[in-house]
Amino acid sequence: MRLFAAIPKMSSSRDQILSRVRDALAPLPSRTPLPEWDASLVRLRNSTTPADLWAPFAERLRSVNGTPLASPLALISFLTENNLLRGYCDPALHASLASHFPPTITLSTELDRSRIDDYQFGLTAAFGAIAETGTIILSDNTTSSRLGALAPWVHIAALRRDQIFPDIPSAIAALPADPNIIWVTGPSKTADVEGILIEGVHGPGLQAALLL
Amino acid sequence: MRQPLDTFSTTLPPDKRASVYQSTKATHEKRTKLLFDHFADPNRLRELAGEIKQHTLEHLDTYLPAVEAKLQSNGVQVHWASTADDANAAVLKIMRARGATKIVKSKTMVSEEIHLEAYLKKHGIESLETDLGEFIVQIDHDHPSHIVRPIIHKNRREIAQSFEREGLGVYNDDPQTITRRARAFLREKYLAADVGLTGGNFISVESGRLVLVTNEGNSRFCLAATKCHIALVGIEKLVPRDRDLGLLLNLLARSATAQQLTVYTEFITGPKSPTQPDGPEEMHVIFVDNGRTDVLATECRDILRCIRCGACLNVCPVYRQASGHAYRSVYPGPVGAVLSPLLAGKKFPELADLPKASSLCGACNEVCPVNIPIPDLLLRLRDKGKREHAPLASAATPPMGSFATLATHPTVWKTALTAGKLLNVLPTTLLPVPPLRAWEKNRTLPKWRGGEFRNWMKSRPDVRRKNAQNAQKS
Amino acid sequence: MDLSHRRRPAADRRVQLMATCLCDAFFDDVARATVEVLEYLGCTIEFPEAQTCCGQPPFNGGDWPASRKIVRHTVDTFAGDAPVVVPSGSCAAMLFHGALLEFENEPDLPAVSKLASRTWELADFIVNALGVTSWPGEYKATLAFHRSCHSRGTPSGEAALHLLSSISGTRVVPVGEAEQCCGFGGTFSVAFPNVSTAMGTLKLEHLRAENPDVVVSADMSCLMHLNGLAEKSGSPLRPQHLAQILRDALKNSALI
Repeated sequence: MRLFAAIPKMSSSRDQILSRVRDALAPLPSRTPLPEWDASLVRLRNSTTPADLWAPFAERLRSVNGTPLASPLALISFLTENNLLRGYCDPALHASLASHFPPTITLSTELDRSRIDDYQFGLTAAFGAIAETGTIILSDNTTSSRLGALAPWVHIAALRRDQIFPDIPSAIAALPADPNIIWVTGPSKTADVEGILIEGVHGPGLQAALLL
Repeated sequence: MRQPLDTFSTTLPPDKRASVYQSTKATHEKRTKLLFDHFADPNRLRELAGEIKQHTLEHLDTYLPAVEAKLQSNGVQVHWASTADDANAAVLKIMRARGATKIVKSKTMVSEEIHLEAYLKKHGIESLETDLGEFIVQIDHDHPSHIVRPIIHKNRREIAQSFEREGLGVYNDDPQTITRRARAFLREKYLAADVGLTGGNFISVESGRLVLVTNEGNSRFCLAATKCHIALVGIEKLVPRDRDLGLLLNLLARSATAQQLTVYTEFITGPKSPTQPDGPEEMHVIFVDNGRTDVLATECRDILRCIRCGACLNVCPVYRQASGHAYRSVYPGPVGAVLSPLLAGKKFPELADLPKASSLCGACNEVCPVNIPIPDLLLRLRDKGKREHAPLASAATPPMGSFATLATHPTVWKTALTAGKLLNVLPTTLLPVPPLRAWEKNRTLPKWRGGEFRNWMKSRPDVRRKNAQNAQKS
Repeated sequence: MDLSHRRRPAADRRVQLMATCLCDAFFDDVARATVEVLEYLGCTIEFPEAQTCCGQPPFNGGDWPASRKIVRHTVDTFAGDAPVVVPSGSCAAMLFHGALLEFENEPDLPAVSKLASRTWELADFIVNALGVTSWPGEYKATLAFHRSCHSRGTPSGEAALHLLSSISGTRVVPVGEAEQCCGFGGTFSVAFPNVSTAMGTLKLEHLRAENPDVVVSADMSCLMHLNGLAEKSGSPLRPQHLAQILRDALKNSALI
């Protein structure tokens, strides 16, 4: 029963919850301390840390059905082989890569939502990658358009060798102050229908990483 | 009175039982192989994760205000919802403030708890599920039967029929076609929606990061296409430090779906960055209690460690036989058997049978990534059910008062042992003793041999010798 | 479960035997075999006549006051400091885990803890208390071993398997879905008879997959349920408790 109707309900919920939490915990004779743990506990068996992380990253990416592309040339071959001729491209990447593209491929540096399914691929910049999992790291500040990296069937994330982290703990330690960091590990998928794996649900059905 | 879950299990069509069994068995076995292939000591990881979560629960009094402050400094609006009504009202208020009427929704079980969809519908707001399994549950007006695989109980034919009924295309039960149709249909809906509503797998107190763990790309689309993000987060989802996420993320996907990581792990600190064309300009986190503080006050508080991986469901032999709907609540399986009756608060008696629907085998605890001692919690709830005289807690269970009398009076016990030989000559299958009938429906009773062992112990040569010596002395 | 605090038996190998209510009522040969095996290993066995039950049935059934009465009687019956050996993983777990849970707010928790700290399941006792690494004698048979769920988190399952595999003549076959419960679960077997039966039937399929001669367990409760199902459907198992196999191996080589 609320005696003070003038007080907004939201703050009374806050007070109720916090006071119930305090009351619930008060009788505990002691409280569990926060354990310290070493990142080595989550190191994978047989893991090595080679100097060049592109190779192990590429191998893991392939194992999650992603597509590593080791050079702009490889990118162009990949696009032309798969008949991907119209795509969205990050404006900054466009400036540096446009010269590699044949005239047959049309790149737009602005995403038109009303024609979202016209883009066969999206090419955006990655924040980084994780070698141990084959993960591409996207961030809001380095992704020119969230939809450009998500809506087309094919997404290619461009990254440099020095942006690859060896493992999850190191990637977590380096999480930037960014509103929206996304770890992308392969193409989107579901197994909701009878446990059968289908790739390409709401996100890309083909996920690639381009080494700059 | 029969146990409802037991009765339900007999009504499950064989093909549904088979889907549930095969899916859960396959996922469980892959999960185990992956954890032991990848890590030298996966059980140590589970113990550690359990301690981190237990610590967090036991310090929610300081962590909750701390995470609120952090979120606010990140530009997130924080709301608190004591009850389901409060949570629904909070969502509505945000919608009304924006003049919004359409929500696209990523998977969150909290929304099931509070019956969000029905409430919003009453207020003229459309809330559309975007996770494929939840979407199918929604169009069928059904309920999920597994916390990670909501339609584990459905086959492709049923889904194809539903899609046809909803105008998503002529009957086609090819899983790829079904998925493509959902993709096309929902794509338009994302772009036409006002608000993206998600849950939260974890929320870091240190940084205020909200973590979403998904595979389909639906939560990403909700947060790329709409201008406002609402996150419904149970108060127990807190994690002290970003680095602890490194442990929990290594355990979650492996435990849930036998993946090293799910396809998308999102770390969200606030509305979109100013230079980003797509995404929310406003972000809200609604911390939901809805009975969690009641659970926190009991000796079963450990259940709040749960990170909703579903591994316990996948290994549970009872879940495999009965399936999720047998649990009559939002959370099925071993975790549900503890959480659901407790979250029910005053309605505990209605679900007091769930803690009994277990042989206490302990397989759930063995796979739990946060090491919840589920069998112990089930036992505590059995004690609670009996003390509170909940009828469902004693249904079909032999009363133990007389057994205790027998077992505390050795002379009577020994007499009963000898007298029990009568069972060997009685037609036990005809006796009106419910437990006996329940046993003998499918099982034979072994021969009663009460007293035989004790006689043998007393009559052994050395014992006879000792007795004779004692007799001589006296 | 941390059971490392239990003390080893004294040099005279005095032990107290808890036969279990199931063996008292149905499986006298298992209790006999336990005595014979322990005496072969040089133990002096005291069998406190006043023993009845470990208190597990009412504990599982939710009637903790009734269970506590029985546990108190058990504590009195087994007074002393010798190890208490029991041919059942589930009764042992009741004493060293379950009882501690139901007595956590009781004034006599210390007495219950003392008993808990002296309690050993049979296989665990033989291997880890007496240090037996290999079992003598002979037993020619293909064995399917079923580890009871209450042995989870204890050394018992591994100890039993180790002993069985070490006997000359045995071939221990793998059992699929080994982590899956047989479906007994005490009062669960009669409160949830359909699920219990379904679980047991599935377990039987896996146990029989390699055509074992004998199905072995260190717990008669599981075997009673499994063989009950097998017999009712017309194809009984040859169920044997670990103690019976160990005893028969000795007998087969005239060691006892």
